[in-house]
Amino acid sequence: MLGRTIFIDPGRCIGCQACVSACRECDSHRGKSMIHLDYTDEGRTVASLPTVCMHCEDPVAPCAEVCPAEAILITADGVVHEADPTRCIGCANCVNACPFGVPKIDLAAKLQMKCNLCYDRTSYGLAPMCATVCPTGALFYGTAEELQAERPGVDVSTEFVFGATTVSTGVAMVVPPERQAPVPGGLLNVIEVNGRSTPGNG
Amino acid sequence: MAATPPPPGGSPDGSAGGSSAGDGPPPYRRGAVPAETRPDVTTSPAGRASMVAGAASVLLIAAILLGSRELRDFDSALVPYAVATVFLTFGVVYRYMMWISAPAARRMFREGWAAALSWENLKRSPTALPRMAATYLGFQKFLGARSHARWAAHQLIFWGCLSAAVITFPLTWGWFTFTAAGATGPGYEMRLWGVKLFGFDSGSFFGWALYHGLDLAAVMVIGGVGYFLWRRVRDRAATTGQRFGYDFLPLLALLTISVTGLLLTFSEMFLHGGGYEFLAILHMASVVLTLVYLPFGKFFHIVQRPAAVGMQLFKYTARRKGSDAEELRACRRCGQPIDTAAAVDNLRATMRDLRLGFDEWAEYCPRCKRVLRGTAYLSDVKRGFK
Repeated sequence: MLGRTIFIDPGRCIGCQACVSACRECDSHRGKSMIHLDYTDEGRTVASLPTVCMHCEDPVAPCAEVCPAEAILITADGVVHEADPTRCIGCANCVNACPFGVPKIDLAAKLQMKCNLCYDRTSYGLAPMCATVCPTGALFYGTAEELQAERPGVDVSTEFVFGATTVSTGVAMVVPPERQAPVPGGLLNVIEVNGRSTPGNG
Repeated sequence: MAATPPPPGGSPDGSAGGSSAGDGPPPYRRGAVPAETRPDVTTSPAGRASMVAGAASVLLIAAILLGSRELRDFDSALVPYAVATVFLTFGVVYRYMMWISAPAARRMFREGWAAALSWENLKRSPTALPRMAATYLGFQKFLGARSHARWAAHQLIFWGCLSAAVITFPLTWGWFTFTAAGATGPGYEMRLWGVKLFGFDSGSFFGWALYHGLDLAAVMVIGGVGYFLWRRVRDRAATTGQRFGYDFLPLLALLTISVTGLLLTFSEMFLHGGGYEFLAILHMASVVLTLVYLPFGKFFHIVQRPAAVGMQLFKYTARRKGSDAEELRACRRCGQPIDTAAAVDNLRATMRDLRLGFDEWAEYCPRCKRVLRGTAYLSDVKRGFK
């Protein structure tokens, strides 16, 4: 069941980077931000997309599955943790396997780092740093019912399609209410967006 | 509108929600893979691991028997230690076999050893393997990039434990013996498997250091453990998510071994052996329990860490096969290098082993993956998102 988690609504994101700054304050990776904020079509739209770890549930944590050093722990509450520094060998398998593009790697320190849902806070019932500071509610922490009580008429999805594979996640995205299909993970050969051709795709 | 979130895990039988017959192939879900396409597992990994671990234990027992010259040099007071090393061997080999039976570790294990044992690699770059072993295993340069203090403390623990193991394991197996060179003089001889290695004066500094090697090791370990215990209590990054069994117990075990070991020397030197028997049993119990615990907790990283050398060597040799540009795989969208071609191919094969059907995404850099998803959200989910 979808319990208390992060709900991402890119439609509300104004790209202010408050979440990026707040993430740096998280005790488990102090000084380094684990949230990604991408301007998807920079120069043409102001659209931006915040990305936290989606805490994949099915298949459970592909990053952990491809780790050759058994370094990525998943706790019983479904949180996929950053690599155990004792075990991580810095091979970057997790970085390249994650379909959401979440984990970061420090090659000199041979250490992977990623969002752990601010475990020092969420395990005590507090909201993660990013959701605490987001001024527009693009990052919301709570239950689906709490979100829908605040925002009538929205639905959420925890299913993402990558090619022929559907990935179910512990973190959800806000979708329009009439939408039934899973959220697309992205098309690998995007030819055009909103009627314009996209340069540089494979 | 009362919206309902979809169940995150799909239906219990593994069938994919949201797909319907006639819409083409259903979304690929691991639970829905037909039984006939699953890999044929004729031998269970646990059974194979038990056999190999049992064989390794028998080999060690044989080595103890032979090395101690059919127990002539075996010190019966050290039997519990020797038995613990047999259990340790079984546990470590069993755990190691189970570890490398998982797809990701198995592939990295094969590639790492293939790179290490390749004659071609040795000819082209003879210093690569020893250099990387010294960097990653001996001096642990990567720890310095994480924190200089942690590097220094870990070096103390590492060299302390290593020297203690080198001294004690052969002693408990009856491989090392010390015999008097003559009836009158201070000369001693150190023997391995009954063969004289060297002689020394027991009153010299070398003799003192040799007999107090474990005390010196204990002082080093206590220094390192002290820092890490302080960090476990005070450092906010370390305290997040730490667990007693995984993070504290190994430190407390090393501390107990070191302190009780030093107390044995203290008892001998200053108490005329007072409390020695109790301390000896306490020390033995702490060592035996630690050795038996080694394969299961944080200590197993000692066995896993050489994988870093194999991984690094695998990537290094892949880069050197041709020109760098040819052997690096670039993101198919933005052209930024991702990893060596061999590493990306190895990962994609691992993902296919694991039935993660999106291995093609491994050829895109993390940022492009996020941008592609954002672009799809923009054009397919919420057109107002612009």
